Parts: sequence; C-alpha cells; structure tokens
Amino acid sequence: MKESCSAVSKLLEKYFDQEVTDEEKSVVETHLLDCQACQEVLRSMEELRNLVRAPVEEAVQKEDFQWIWQKIERGIRLEERPTFWETLQSWLQISPLFQRKVWISAAVAVAIILIITIPMFFKKTPSLLDQSVIEYVESQTHNVMIYESENKKVTVIWLFEGPAEETSPS
Amino acid sequence: MKKIISLTTCFFILLIPISVAFSQVPTRVRVIEASNVGSIIDPSLKDVQSDLKSLSNFTSYRLLKDENLSLSPNRPIDVPVHKGRSLEITLVGQRKDIAECRVKIKSEGTDILNTQVRLSSGRTVLIVGPKHGEGVAIIALSARF
Repeated sequence: MKESCSAVSKLLEKYFDQEVTDEEKSVVETHLLDCQACQEVLRSMEELRNLVRAPVEEAVQKEDFQWIWQKIERGIRLEERPTFWETLQSWLQISPLFQRKVWISAAVAVAIILIITIPMFFKKTPSLLDQSVIEYVESQTHNVMIYESENKKVTVIWLFEGPAEETSPS
Repeated sequence: MKKIISLTTCFFILLIPISVAFSQVPTRVRVIEASNVGSIIDPSLKDVQSDLKSLSNFTSYRLLKDENLSLSPNRPIDVPVHKGRSLEITLVGQRKDIAECRVKIKSEGTDILNTQVRLSSGRTVLIVGPKHGEGVAIIALSARF
C-alpha cells in the first residue's frame, strides 16, 4: 500500500457500501487507479459479499414471505379491532337520543313493565277442578248434598235416605 | 366421568317409575255412628268434633271403626261398615300431596254411592248417611303424607 492507503482504507468500506460523499468518492476512485493493494482489498470485499449473498438469496427464495405477511397483517387487524364496549360507546355517541341519557328512563320503564307482566304470564290460576275435593258423586238410591266447612278442612257428602226421584224437582 | 354421570342419570330415570308405581298412601278410615241417643262424643273424634257438631243436630258420636289403610294404585280395599254395607276405596291417582280416591258404598251388592274425592294432608272427607241404628253412619276419610 502507498502512503495515502491508510487514509483511503478508512473510506474504502464506506465506499463499498456506497455511503461516501461525492468528495470522498473522487478521492477513493483517484487512489484506486494507482493502488493495486487497495484494488485488491476492494475485490476481496466484493468476493466476500458475493459469497454471503448467494446462500441468503437462495434462502429468501425458499421462504414464504406472503404467508408471514398475512400472519402479521392479521395480528395488526386484531389489535386494531375495537372491543365490544368501545363499539357500544361509539354507537351511543352517534345517537343523539342516547347522548341525552333518555335511554336510562326508557330502560327503567321497560324493566318495570317486564317485572309486572312476566309473572302474569307464568302465574297458574288454579282451575275449579283443582280446588274441588269432590271430582264427581253419584247415587242411584239416595239424594246427595255436598257441603264444605268454612275453614275448608272438611268436605261433607250427605246421603239422604229415599229414592232420588221422589224428592227431586220434576 | 361422563360415563358415571350418564349411568347415574339412567339409574334415577329407571328408579322414578318404580317409586311411583310402588308409592302407597296411608289413609285413615273412621266409621262413626251419630245419633240422638245419649250425649257421648268419642275422644278420638276431637279433630272433627266441631265440624260434626256444626253439620248436624246429633248429640252423640260414637266411633265404630278406625282403620289405617295403605292404598296402592288401582287396588280396591274393602272396609265393612256395618251389616250388609261396605266401603270400597281405590287409589286412582296421586299428585304431590294429593291422593285421588274412588269411593263406593255398597249395600247388599248394590252401589248406593259412587264418588271420586281428592284427599290431601289436613283435609277430611265425611260421608254422612246412610241410616245406622237410631241415627246415621258417618265415614271419615283422611290421608296422611
């Protein structure tokens, strides 16, 4: 290497990476015209880059970047999607009715109506048949009277002697 | 775990009809003679005493028979009331604490009363009549759950 080689060698790597200024570029290129050693260093850099590039490019070709990108995109979309609460809040903000908080009294009114009406639908009114103790009574030979005590604990079936047709109204 | 749960469920499902089929209803049948001869009220009639008094003008209530029956579904049980007369009681249905019973009073082979009543806890069904001696026979039916 010539005397200026030490100064150029610092710039050589930057030159190789195309990171030098125009001024530095002309200095390096002028020097390279006359310096075999620096030319050799630059060539070895190129060889090294080529040596690395080939397997990397091969690996890149094998890799399915489309799939990876789709996965990343999906992740981004998921992060961006608003939560249910955020959606609800935004919806409430859109509607002027809800902004005025009218919905609170409306919801209360609906709840009261539901509380009053739902038991009415499910309330089972006991039928007369369920309330009665006697399902049926018949007698071919006696008149029958049914009586229930006031406290509803005793039900009486009263049989009167004598044929039914004799006392029955005709 | 699932197997155990399903087997247990099957066991209980199979058990339900068996328990329903074999459920028996303890029923009390009392035959009372009500008359105006004397003024004796049988102490064992305490629970229906006030009702009996409010129903009729009889002064005497005498317990003739007190039987505790175990009614099985559709199996009629005969209880002799007094000479020539009998009571036939059959459990025809059961719901929770209500027993549906068919009651027949027979007199020398003829049905003089045919009725179906619902017996529940704390309720008594009285069948007043027919004639018995100087007064009438009262049949008191009640079920215990």
